[in-house]
Amino acid sequence: MNYQTTALRRALAADYAIGLMPATARRRFDALLLEDPVLRVELGHWQAALASLTGTLPERPVPDHVWAGIKARVEPQVLHMPAKKPFWMSFRVLAAACAVVVAVLVGVLYQRDIGAEYNATLVAANQQPALQVQAFGDHLQVEPLTLAAVEPTRALELWAIAAGGKPVSLGLVPSSGKGRIQLSQEQQALLAGPVTLAVSLEPQGGSPTGQPTGPVLYQGALASR
Amino acid sequence: MNAQAGLPSAYRAQSRRPRSRAWRSPISTHDADPLRPLLAQCALGNRQAFETLYRSVSPRLHGVAYRFMGRSDLAEEVLQEAFVRIWYNASRYEAHLAAPMTWMVNITRNLAIDQLRKHREQPLADGQQDALLDDSPGAHEQLDNEREARALNRCLDTLDGMQRQSITVAYFQGLSCSELADHLAAPLGSVKSWIRRGMERLRRCLES
Repeated sequence: MNYQTTALRRALAADYAIGLMPATARRRFDALLLEDPVLRVELGHWQAALASLTGTLPERPVPDHVWAGIKARVEPQVLHMPAKKPFWMSFRVLAAACAVVVAVLVGVLYQRDIGAEYNATLVAANQQPALQVQAFGDHLQVEPLTLAAVEPTRALELWAIAAGGKPVSLGLVPSSGKGRIQLSQEQQALLAGPVTLAVSLEPQGGSPTGQPTGPVLYQGALASR
Repeated sequence: MNAQAGLPSAYRAQSRRPRSRAWRSPISTHDADPLRPLLAQCALGNRQAFETLYRSVSPRLHGVAYRFMGRSDLAEEVLQEAFVRIWYNASRYEAHLAAPMTWMVNITRNLAIDQLRKHREQPLADGQQDALLDDSPGAHEQLDNEREARALNRCLDTLDGMQRQSITVAYFQGLSCSELADHLAAPLGSVKSWIRRGMERLRRCLES
């Protein structure tokens, strides 16, 4: 249908204003109105003219309950909490208590087990992971993965090498492989920066010179978690 | 309420009725209509303004709703729904398209007609049906009482009886053309032509 014909547009606006249109035609016209400001003005004229049909209707007093009904619909709903609901309340308290307990437990476990600040996986020359090192505040936790067997007269010594610096001994890897290495203040400070960890083969008791004397078996970078 | 008391009394005389200013006088956005700022405040979420608006226009819109519904309970339902819609749609009111009262009358009428159509689809008990149909002579009498110097009524007077009646009945009952034909016991073609010609003549009259 050609909606651009003036006569037709007028007639349609009139029909719409009176309310003669069936639902489908009304929806189509609604769509037209959205994109046609001139049509909206035309319709506005009709609606104003027809609304004056109601101009001489007598006013009617309105009972109070109508305003109460309107207020209930337009005012934001206040969340209504029943004054007493023992079961529900106790459940809420219990739930809150459980949440606190869980939070504390998680905090403790985190501190204990997965609270490592840094870790490193040291690998052999063939890139085989050999030793897992976790750094905590004042100690290292080492765990062998595929550590080579060492003669009783030898020891594995762990070194930290800062970029451009000399290796600093962190101590001997426990003979069982798994264990804890206590760190001094200086060692802790060293590990705060980017360092490479290395393990060298040394005489029993560790390097006599303070620097690695044997071959470096494993190494890897210490990364923050 | 203070806000209500503060509403200019001139408002009642001036803008209680939607004035027929179709075509001849474009609606000015600088209109002194006191309902305009109230609607603007409603659009901003001002409940105080909404209550003032309600106190000012609800008796008139109630009269409109009652004219359509013919029953107090149904009229009150329509009125309540109309004000809820006015509150939530206040920001969509377009001042250049309609005077505030015209806009609110239209909202009320649209809701009333929706209800009437719903009731027509679900036939009512006999008594209710009578109550609804009862207002067809009312439309006629209403028109006789409306012979005031208002533009629309002056123009309606220039229409043939059937043109006038079909437009008025259609307006107040929200009938489709075929329902209107049944209601007036007239052929569909005739009803369509009464409406079409009646509206054209109305328009020419209002434009003059």
